[in-house]
Amino acid sequence: MSWFRCIVGDVRGGGRLLRGLPQSPGLPQRTPRCFLSRGPGPGPPGPGLRTRVGVGLLVGGGLLAAWWFVDSEKRQNQRRRRVEQLKQVSLGQGVFSLLDHRGQRRTKADFLGRWVLLYFGFTHCPDICPEELDKLSAAVSALDRDASMPPVQPVFITVDPERDDAAALDRYVKDFHPRLIGLTGTPEEVKHAGRDYRVYASAGPKDEDGDYIVDHTILIYLISPDGLFLDYYNRMKSQDQITESVRNHIKNYEQLDPQPEGP
Amino acid sequence: MTAPNSSERKACWDARDQLWKCLDDNGDNAASCQKSQSEFEANCPAQWVKYFTKRREFLKYKDKMQTEGFKPAEGPRQPS
Repeated sequence: MSWFRCIVGDVRGGGRLLRGLPQSPGLPQRTPRCFLSRGPGPGPPGPGLRTRVGVGLLVGGGLLAAWWFVDSEKRQNQRRRRVEQLKQVSLGQGVFSLLDHRGQRRTKADFLGRWVLLYFGFTHCPDICPEELDKLSAAVSALDRDASMPPVQPVFITVDPERDDAAALDRYVKDFHPRLIGLTGTPEEVKHAGRDYRVYASAGPKDEDGDYIVDHTILIYLISPDGLFLDYYNRMKSQDQITESVRNHIKNYEQLDPQPEGP
Repeated sequence: MTAPNSSERKACWDARDQLWKCLDDNGDNAASCQKSQSEFEANCPAQWVKYFTKRREFLKYKDKMQTEGFKPAEGPRQPS
């Protein structure tokens, strides 16, 4: 109770009141300033100090909790805004329908619920596509070794449907990650899928053997289980950088779109 | 024609690397590297030979730009 008396004693009116009160041996000395840290008289700091510390901690804790709550709300809003931005960019928003390397029809819906690393290329590619697919496969394998990570689905879509039929893709994907799915289709279907991801592709002139090189965008796309384009990796990104980036995306991923109800 | 498989790709890349090493050692003197050149052409599809040849030219050009610097070409004289 002495701390209360201290505060009262500080205020002028209170001071006059205090001076009017009969002095008793237990009362502290009347001083113009009040040292709140001092307990009643020469004794050790009593409940007063403990109470003050307790209240201080409570207030501090409350402030911290409030700050954390506001901060997490802010982060949640930032993520929502980022998702909205990505939706605006509308990469990979369409529905593609292609044939996989085993001749099975696959649509975009088949890949929902899984993380996908996607690369566009062609089997007659001299060096870049094998290198990028090696990088992609190595990243997926590294993530496979991490038990806390869900399996990532590697996908290869051809930009050369004239030559890359299901059989050609079947031969090609064998050289990379065992889960790598190759996708092809009619030139229209393939063009549609490429347009969806704003992939540039241009076949060069044919030589005497009928061989040609297809110039195309060299990017690995990361797609979330919502089917949203989340990130991309160019030639400069190493296998480790891709692995780390995908790991972070998966860890920080929060499902902002509700899961569609299953049949 | 079917696309080269993994071992065929590797054979081509190795032949290309041999050729480029020879050219590097001989100051890009193509005459001294005839053997490597034929090895290269035998192991790689014609399109890839063209592609890698162009690639080497580009890499040399890039090297030159980075070491010797870029000299802007003289443009047409402005009419006075």
